Amino acid sequence: MQLDPTADDLIFRESARVWLAENVPASDAPHEGQPARKYATDWVARCHSGGWSGLAWPEAHGGRGLSAARLIIWYEEYVRARAPSALDCTFVALNHAGPTLIACGTDEQKAFHLSRILEGRSIWCQGFSEPGSGSDLASLATVGKVDGEHLVVNGQKIWSSYADIADYQELLIRTEQGSQRHRGLSWVICDMSLPGITVRPIRNMAGVSHFAEIFYDDVRIPLSDVVGKVNDGWNVAMTTLGFERRTAAIALQLELSVKVEDLITLAEPATGTATAHLLADLRAEAAALRAMTYRTLLREPETPFDGSMMRLVFAELSQKIHRAAIDILGPEALVAGRWTHDYMESYSETIAGGTAEIQRNIIAERILGLPREARP
Amino acid sequence: MTFDLTISDDQRQILDAAKIMLGRNYPQSRLRDSNACDSMTPLVEFGAFVLALPDTQDGAGFSVVEEALLHAAFGRHLVSPSSMAAAIGLRIALATGRDDLANAIGTGEIKVCAGTETGAGMLLFEPDGAAQAILRRADGIRLVDLAEADIIPQTAMGHGRPVARATTPAAVSNNAPAGEDLNLIATLLTCAQLLGVATGARDLAVDYAGIREQFGRPIGSFQAIKHHCANMAIGVDMLSAQLDMAAIALRDRREDAAFQIAALVRLAPKIALSNARLGIQIHGGIGFSAEADAQLYIKHAHVLGALAQGKDLLSLPAPLAPLEEN
Ligand SMILES: Cc1cc2nc3c(=O)[nH]c(=O)nc-3n(C[C@H](O)[C@H](O)[C@H](O)COP(=O)(O)OP(=O)(O)OC[C@H]3O[C@@H](n4cnc5c(N)ncnc54)[C@H](O)[C@@H]3O)c2cc1C
Repeated sequence: MQLDPTADDLIFRESARVWLAENVPASDAPHEGQPARKYATDWVARCHSGGWSGLAWPEAHGGRGLSAARLIIWYEEYVRARAPSALDCTFVALNHAGPTLIACGTDEQKAFHLSRILEGRSIWCQGFSEPGSGSDLASLATVGKVDGEHLVVNGQKIWSSYADIADYQELLIRTEQGSQRHRGLSWVICDMSLPGITVRPIRNMAGVSHFAEIFYDDVRIPLSDVVGKVNDGWNVAMTTLGFERRTAAIALQLELSVKVEDLITLAEPATGTATAHLLADLRAEAAALRAMTYRTLLREPETPFDGSMMRLVFAELSQKIHRAAIDILGPEALVAGRWTHDYMESYSETIAGGTAEIQRNIIAERILGLPREARP
Repeated sequence: MTFDLTISDDQRQILDAAKIMLGRNYPQSRLRDSNACDSMTPLVEFGAFVLALPDTQDGAGFSVVEEALLHAAFGRHLVSPSSMAAAIGLRIALATGRDDLANAIGTGEIKVCAGTETGAGMLLFEPDGAAQAILRRADGIRLVDLAEADIIPQTAMGHGRPVARATTPAAVSNNAPAGEDLNLIATLLTCAQLLGVATGARDLAVDYAGIREQFGRPIGSFQAIKHHCANMAIGVDMLSAQLDMAAIALRDRREDAAFQIAALVRLAPKIALSNARLGIQIHGGIGFSAEADAQLYIKHAHVLGALAQGKDLLSLPAPLAPLEEN
């Protein structure tokens, strides 16, 4: 077990620090709409021109193919420099769609999309959840019928983040008539400007709109936009599981350490008070989350559900930190501000991307081997 | 030099050998019928107390990273905290030039027990046959000669393993506490043992949840039980990751070592107690009985918790702070 940087690692850290100090935008990111898009894509474009985009992507596809150690160093510097949150409208493209295309896409699909993503020229959203299919994703019912060289799509998706400002969507649909569960699905690149698509932004509890519902009314998608094989979409959706530990989620996890420091600065707790104890606990948990993050990245062999405990610790710690901020602010928290906004947003942490309850089921069944629940 | 948190072959070998030694000499079942103090002889023979000493001091030349992994295995077998006391006592003896004493601790001739100070004097854990104790105090850790102390056995919490009161000999206040690095090592090893307790409680509960049936199915298929088990697993994962981080920082004398240890000690007693508590709940009535093992973990977690002390985490500089404040 070693955490010793090499001389080259130190040079790398220094160059990251210098670049970030000169390039991190001074203004805060807008929360929604075209201003959010412009801010985020400008940032990706800037990172790209500095050689700092696609860090975990293979070099053959325009990325930098950085080692886990270098990713850790980069993201440590990233959060310490207060660079823009990684969970913005570019997240799906850089951390999910791009890696999925690299793993399963055709040469044409890769040639067209990958450079656009890396350069901040296209935004992607994810269209998996439906009104009737959230935790139980495999029950999804949006259909695509083959008609010549096209799929004709009808149905509805919901909670799709940044769908209102996205160019493309990763769309998971049922393409085999009468198929059940995860069989008969396809993973499709959906151009959001196609006729028949209606996007209705949904305001969230923080008072901003960054997710949306989408209606598909005879939307004709070329079969050449299917990624992987037709009817093999579930496997395509699962291919990025292995890549997940090397995504910008690292930044979100490390960022909690910085947030705890900000909270300590805000609270200035007197020794021995309840607030001091609370903040010490949060500091310790953030340190442990950092340790879990490193271990997930730096321990071989990787096991399939490695990251699930870490993600849950992240979600619940984030909520604890924000609840603490609201307690510390007192009635001042009732006026909109950074902590108040982030506090409202933090309610989504234990819902989005698999609820805390589902995560616990996965940990108990897949990691601990407890008996599975009855499933349809 | 590199970044890699994989368990090395050496470490794996130490753990495999320890597993066999512990299974043979310290099966959890030993604690069902008897409250006798654990013998330290098998640990002496294993070389446990000199594992992390350099060759020049007749040690095995490993580091606190390996030692912490070993102590986590001790905790899983609920081995007496005298194991931690011996590892620390030996170092204090060496640091203060008492080579004969160090030698006698290393060979098991002299037994060291663990102690903590309360408002009413010293509490010693599993003191039978101990000639020395290590004592945690606010100003640091000391090795105390028990020859001058009056030792009065007490009934332990829940009629658990032996505990005694002892008057603190006057001489104790006169001898200077050991250096800060020994405080940190003592905390690291105690927290490693707490991780072992948390892990053992998890494994016992998960096994039971898989075999105990009610309503015609294993209780582990009920979500309430599943989620308790998941929470126990998360606790273990967090704590073991932080233990590795702290042990590496200490071994490499990194500047964040004190921070990492203080974070560790903030987590370890809570997680061990929480896992032990959930373990009892998952067992139902038998968990409350003294005839099953679940209760042993609670008592052991309380003892180790009393021995785990660290610096105020908020008083230390954080390694991952925003840059502009530096
Ligand atoms: C901010 C945000 C952004 C999102 N972005 C996207 C996106 O970009 N693309 C996308 O496709 N989706 C997105 N989602 C959707 C997200 O994936 C779903 O909300 C999530 O999977 C839960 O589904 P649901 O909302 O239908 O809740 P439900 O599945 O209806 O769950 C309701 C409650 O029941 C519980 N529950 C359900 N099943 C079980 C079970 N078996 N055991 C125990 N409890 C259970 C849940 O834990 C939850 O507490 C987003 C959601 C949020 C909040």
